[in-house]
Amino acid sequence: MKNSLQNALCALDALERNARAESPMHRLDARAKLLATTVYLVTMLSVPLPQLSEILLYALFPMATATLGGMRLGPLLRRSLAVLPFVALIGIFNLLYDRTPALRIGTLTVTEGGIEFAAILLRGILSMAALLVLIGTTGFYALCRALQQSGIPRFLTVQLLFVYRYLRVLLEEALAMSRACDARSFGRKHPALRVWGTLVGQLLLRTFDRAEQIHRAMLARGFTGRIPDCTAGKPRWRRADTAFLTGWSLALIAARWSYPVETLTRLFR
Amino acid sequence: MHMSDALVSPTVAAVAGAASLVLLGTAVRKLRPARSGLHTDVLHSERIVPLMGVMGAFVFAAQMINFAVPGTGSSGHIVGGILLSAILGPWAALLALSSVLILQCLLFADGGFLALGCNIFNMAVLSCLVAYPLVFRPLMRPDATPGRIFAASVLASVAGLELGALAVTLETEASAITALPIGKFLLFMLPIHLAIGIGEGLATGALLCAVRRYRPELLAGTEPQEQPAKRRFVRTLAAIAVAALLVGGSFSWLASSQPDGLEWSLSRTAGTAEMAPAPDGLHRTAAAIQETTAALPDYGTTTAGLVGCGVLLLAAWGGTQLLRTRRKGA
Repeated sequence: MKNSLQNALCALDALERNARAESPMHRLDARAKLLATTVYLVTMLSVPLPQLSEILLYALFPMATATLGGMRLGPLLRRSLAVLPFVALIGIFNLLYDRTPALRIGTLTVTEGGIEFAAILLRGILSMAALLVLIGTTGFYALCRALQQSGIPRFLTVQLLFVYRYLRVLLEEALAMSRACDARSFGRKHPALRVWGTLVGQLLLRTFDRAEQIHRAMLARGFTGRIPDCTAGKPRWRRADTAFLTGWSLALIAARWSYPVETLTRLFR
Repeated sequence: MHMSDALVSPTVAAVAGAASLVLLGTAVRKLRPARSGLHTDVLHSERIVPLMGVMGAFVFAAQMINFAVPGTGSSGHIVGGILLSAILGPWAALLALSSVLILQCLLFADGGFLALGCNIFNMAVLSCLVAYPLVFRPLMRPDATPGRIFAASVLASVAGLELGALAVTLETEASAITALPIGKFLLFMLPIHLAIGIGEGLATGALLCAVRRYRPELLAGTEPQEQPAKRRFVRTLAAIAVAALLVGGSFSWLASSQPDGLEWSLSRTAGTAEMAPAPDGLHRTAAAIQETTAALPDYGTTTAGLVGCGVLLLAAWGGTQLLRTRRKGA
């Protein structure tokens, strides 16, 4: 069975692999995707909870972008479900508190609290799915560059790149150590706090050593405490990016203001 | 404690995001050497940049090694705010921990993108900039015994996590997501995070003791600097104010939650479709925002809308499948 360290390493690998794939979504500028996802999240999350069907309509955005980006919907949905435990923990109270009947399906009565609970879960799944599509079709380096180009200080983005670079190294080191610990602890699932302290303390010391090595290597290459601008070869903003961003933004904002599902159902009655 | 996007409204996310961005900007300004910087300034900065990066990666990895919580059979992991502050200093720790949170969001979609501001505020700002200077620093001495280190870590971690839990509660309530009255929500959140805080504190203490034994020079940042009496007085005042806010805040919410919940359920059972404005300010502003943006929900059309939407989504799914098979065939 894989532990969380191995899962994280696999996820990192999958991320890098996905980010290098070829698709219309991958060719878009990271800023366009980032902004469109933000518009999506803002519009979707501002829909009031009782309007479950309107929120359901917003599933179209992750579905469409995932298909454009060559991501399969099944695994996407499965990974989005990971958000459920914490969200359900908070949302379950709506189900318990609000027992006003809202609608009947056969003999089953759905309460207003039930609808709100479903809406909260749906918001969780959809926001996670949209974020996963953004990550899966962009990759971390491009996202970081997009953040920097949209005004986040270089000091912070370089910090992000640093953590990303050494995350892999330290995950592998931690994996080796926890494997050694597992091999000696005879079927125990997690080490006791004292053993954990020594284990992670050891990892911390190795981290310091590595930081020192990196520091010397950086000094040897002429680092003076200032971070050089390394956005040479910036991707150019193309017409497709403008079209993608304005198209989705207009569609999403229109869907937010006009309540299409409600209007249509009224029309058909 | 990672908040998902599902639990925040865009307004709350924007406010928390703005607050976090301002604090991150301050941290960057404090750590980046000025253009005509002093020599010591530059030396500090060139050392702190790689250390911050690698420490961020360390916290990320250490969060994935769980320890057994004695007596419960469950396991816990650290968040790392106090640990990072003790080694890097509060501002660098804020940057390092925030970058960990941003990475968790952008790599594993752990905690939402809109909720990122909330998460940075709840987990990084409150523990690095509030719990560390007000609780940990005053308790630490350069010649502290292991017991003292443990005590300081536990108290500071509990303070940081309880403040974070309070912030999560306030943010969720201000987003008008949960039907749970705020008093009951707090009664549910605070004890859980008390337990988590003690675990976090013990783990932090164990790590700090290890660092102290092998690399005492790295904890140099925790030595109390000579402070003028006036500043110390201001700091004490601030600590008292935080404590008063915490206690007063939780009790007043507890007191006000009862009529609030009652009125709210009354208005529901009376069958009025419109929610009566709740008496407290947060709810009222949230309700006002919702009222201006939302048409009245009409449940007569809900079923039809759900069915229609379901059919539409099925059709869309079919379309994506067609597109995929076509692309595969091509």
